[in-house]
Amino acid sequence: MELSRSRSRSVLIHLLMIAASIVMLYPVFWWVGASLKDASEMSSAAIWPKKPVWDNFVKGWNFSKEYTFARFFGNTLLMEAWNVIGAVISSSLVAFGFSRIKFALSKFWFAVLLMTMMLPGQVTLIPQYIMYNNLGFVNSYVPLVLPHFLGGGAFFVFLVCQFIRGIPRELDEAAKIDGTSTFGLYYRIILPLILPALVNVAIFTFIWSWDDFMSQMLYLNSIDKYTVGLALRMFIDQFDVQWGQLLAMSLLSVMPSALIFLFAQRYFVEGIATTGLKG
Amino acid sequence: MSILSTKAKREAGRHLTGYLFISPWLVGFLALSLWPILQSLYLSFTDYSLLEAPRWIGSANYKDIVHDPLFYKSLTVTLTFVFASVPLKLAFSLLVAMLLNRSIRGINLYRTAFYFPSLIGGSIAVSVLWRNMFGMDGYINKILSIFGIEGTGWISSPDTALGTLVLLNVWQFGSTMVIFLAGLKQIPKELYESSSVDGAGVFRKFFSITLPMLSPVLFFNLILGIIGSFQMFTSAFIITKGGPANETYTYALFLYEKAFSQFQMGYASALAWILLVIIALFTLLNFAASKYWVFYETEAR
Amino acid sequence: MRKPKGALAILSTVITMSLLVTACGGAKSSNSSDPKSSGSAGTADTAKLNIMWWGSQERHDATAQALDLYTKNNAGITFSPQYTDWDGYWKKLPTLAASKSMPDVFQMDAAYIQEYVSRGLLEDLTAIDLGGTIDQGVIDKSKIDGKLYGVPLSYNGTGFVYNKPELEAAGMTLPKKDWTWDEFFAFAEEGRQKLPAGKYAIGDYTTVWNWYQDYQMAYGKGPMFQDGTKLNIDKDLWFTFQKKYEDFRARDIIPKAAVSAATVENDPKADPLLSGLTMTRGVAVGAVSALEKMMPGKLEVVNNPVGPNGGGWAQSTMYWVVSKDSEHKEAAAKFLKWIVSDPEAGKILKTTRGIPISSTIFDSIKSELSEGELLGIEMYNMAADKAMPFAPAPPGWADFVKTYSDTMTEVMFKKKTLDEAFDVIMKKGEDTQARLAK
Repeated sequence: MELSRSRSRSVLIHLLMIAASIVMLYPVFWWVGASLKDASEMSSAAIWPKKPVWDNFVKGWNFSKEYTFARFFGNTLLMEAWNVIGAVISSSLVAFGFSRIKFALSKFWFAVLLMTMMLPGQVTLIPQYIMYNNLGFVNSYVPLVLPHFLGGGAFFVFLVCQFIRGIPRELDEAAKIDGTSTFGLYYRIILPLILPALVNVAIFTFIWSWDDFMSQMLYLNSIDKYTVGLALRMFIDQFDVQWGQLLAMSLLSVMPSALIFLFAQRYFVEGIATTGLKG
Repeated sequence: MSILSTKAKREAGRHLTGYLFISPWLVGFLALSLWPILQSLYLSFTDYSLLEAPRWIGSANYKDIVHDPLFYKSLTVTLTFVFASVPLKLAFSLLVAMLLNRSIRGINLYRTAFYFPSLIGGSIAVSVLWRNMFGMDGYINKILSIFGIEGTGWISSPDTALGTLVLLNVWQFGSTMVIFLAGLKQIPKELYESSSVDGAGVFRKFFSITLPMLSPVLFFNLILGIIGSFQMFTSAFIITKGGPANETYTYALFLYEKAFSQFQMGYASALAWILLVIIALFTLLNFAASKYWVFYETEAR
Repeated sequence: MRKPKGALAILSTVITMSLLVTACGGAKSSNSSDPKSSGSAGTADTAKLNIMWWGSQERHDATAQALDLYTKNNAGITFSPQYTDWDGYWKKLPTLAASKSMPDVFQMDAAYIQEYVSRGLLEDLTAIDLGGTIDQGVIDKSKIDGKLYGVPLSYNGTGFVYNKPELEAAGMTLPKKDWTWDEFFAFAEEGRQKLPAGKYAIGDYTTVWNWYQDYQMAYGKGPMFQDGTKLNIDKDLWFTFQKKYEDFRARDIIPKAAVSAATVENDPKADPLLSGLTMTRGVAVGAVSALEKMMPGKLEVVNNPVGPNGGGWAQSTMYWVVSKDSEHKEAAAKFLKWIVSDPEAGKILKTTRGIPISSTIFDSIKSELSEGELLGIEMYNMAADKAMPFAPAPPGWADFVKTYSDTMTEVMFKKKTLDEAFDVIMKKGEDTQARLAK
């Protein structure tokens, strides 16, 4: 009796989850349908085209005479790999420094860190460009990747800080008595405990730098260095947009982020396992 | 004497270690961010078209801004947006995070589905998508018509446009939700188990365990929600272009148009620094208030 | 001081620190902007030209091919091309201007050229001999203050496309070449009688400042901006025009405000013509073929309504320009002459930048034109006859244009009366004049 009630409850939960998922995924259904539409069918209200044009994907993939989208996905993924590594390492180091070590002016620097988030990026974009241009880094990935190694953005530092602050200090004390160095404390004690937060850092870094069209547009000039985001713009002319191909390729372009998200979930679970042990 | 010096040494060592840990950020800040930030401050006192060298005009930009009706309009729009969307989004994403914080089969897929709307926010395809949903003959109106309600052009009518953007923003709750989820994972299970033994109900568990334990993360989401909403740009830019009749003309959009469409980077920089002060005030207020409701393990007891 | 203490502290450190950073920044030499263009400056025989344009992939591929051809024929000249979409281009170009690293040669649009010319960023190209390639009249129309800053590339113009089968099915009078404004308005009214509910003969362009300007110019009152510094709105004419639209809105001759505001041109879903909301749409020549692709075989074209002084405009709006800072001006000029006049280049580039300006090149590719491109040419030819000068908003008026459009949106939604709107617009005009006079 007990068992069957809990089973029917779990079926109910699944039904609810599936229903909600369908609502949330409506854009995807629409998107898949629209990516298969011919130009003349684009304005029709039907979700699914009368005659699916799979060619949108083929033509979109091979849109440039010089390179296929494989090149642009390759470029972007390589850049992303560096971004994620940089952001995870540097944000955890900096956050540890801010939340676990009392040093001179730490509060001041933390205020500065927060302040950098409050100034709209549009007004620092141009001075930043001039700076990178003078340093000779235009048309390279340096301006896009380097910042991730240098703190990974205030957002992530603050995020990880909040997570570290949620970890009991007693752990530190215990480790110190065992003779662990400060770095050891960071590396062996804190790092495993903030894994869920770091997974967040990785996911967001990946997704947000994937979408950061403006910087990519300013800093990357030659097509061999193009990212997916830049390549997608090639379907857009002033008056004429290749909607079918654009939607097809932009659908592909969100897939890496979706997959990363799906797979990174595993580490959320590992996060609790570790916490459970220590707690 | 010797005791003092070793203590001083240890102290110096601690400062050094602290700076070593934050050095990636500090170096980046001093080498890459500081100069552009100072530049933008300087430019806020100039007339700068981007196309020619900036010309010092003192505080003229700031004086003009005070008399600019669009400044007040965009600030009103932005404040409305902040006050409507931040609490809604926090509440909604916390609710969803708690629903998704369970180990049932396929939970990863459900989470991804729930996250998806946030994933497509920056894609160029979304503008078409939103028009498809909120347009005159869009998806939403079709559903409404089933109930006999005549819809409107949700994003094109001045009375509903901002509200629609708020809802859209709430719908893209993914990032906030995931941060909550990670926070929930950090709460030791034993706490719930022992309170179950005590016979605590769902609500008491939420208020006596979840909320306090989650408060650092909630605080983070609140601060970042405020900063993000004050700088809300993408959806206003992609979906409504600030229209109709400036009803969704956010502060960031105003700033952006001044900078890049109207060749008034000096004016835009002044706007940016005013926004910085506004956001800083809000943040300061929240930090002050946080003493009363945010609990850090480090400070407890 | 009511600022928070933290902010003050930040500011002071920031200022001390700035000394250090300024020292670093100042040490960098300014001409390292392009590491590749070292040496070999000035001669027309060897140069690496930075070149930039906006457009579609088709344009990018064709242009790259043409550049290769040029390098093959002129061994010393190589190119470093970059390209992006229209929106991105107008963000990137100012950024490059700000960092003093504009490309040697780049594409320019009539809507922006004055901004760049007035700041002295573009090289005077009057000396390039374009005789025999480009019609003198076309060249003269492209001049600014008597000088040619951009080599015109293609023909453009305004007009209307209309949905022929639907208009015929409803038994409507079809628009014809050189229709007058009165005929245009009568056409709109006829639409209400003959078209089904929810469909309209014309759209509502109340918010578009240059739609009114067209009317004002057609009736001989000149463009809205004079000498780039003065606002010129004829009060009577303005009210006549706006009252007409107000009346149309009240009588459902044009769509409701909320419906009009929801339209987005060239959007597959929200374009008024594609969605069947309106039977006509104002359009530039360059956009005709895109529409034709979406509604194959259904569209016909006509020029803008005309008044005693003509109607619409027809001229080149796309140019190649040379940066004032370029170290290879001679090579750039030589290349520009080639790209607009060389028949082989013309065969490669086809219509990727619109109808080629050189009639020889145009004739050589005529047979390959698509339906939509032919339709665009037809529209250009109709418009050219009675065309008035092209009058974009001069530098410094972008702000005014926004106010105009916002205020008129409020009129559409009945949040302002015409009198109130007129006052707001005139006030903004005076403010702008005062600012520009400074």
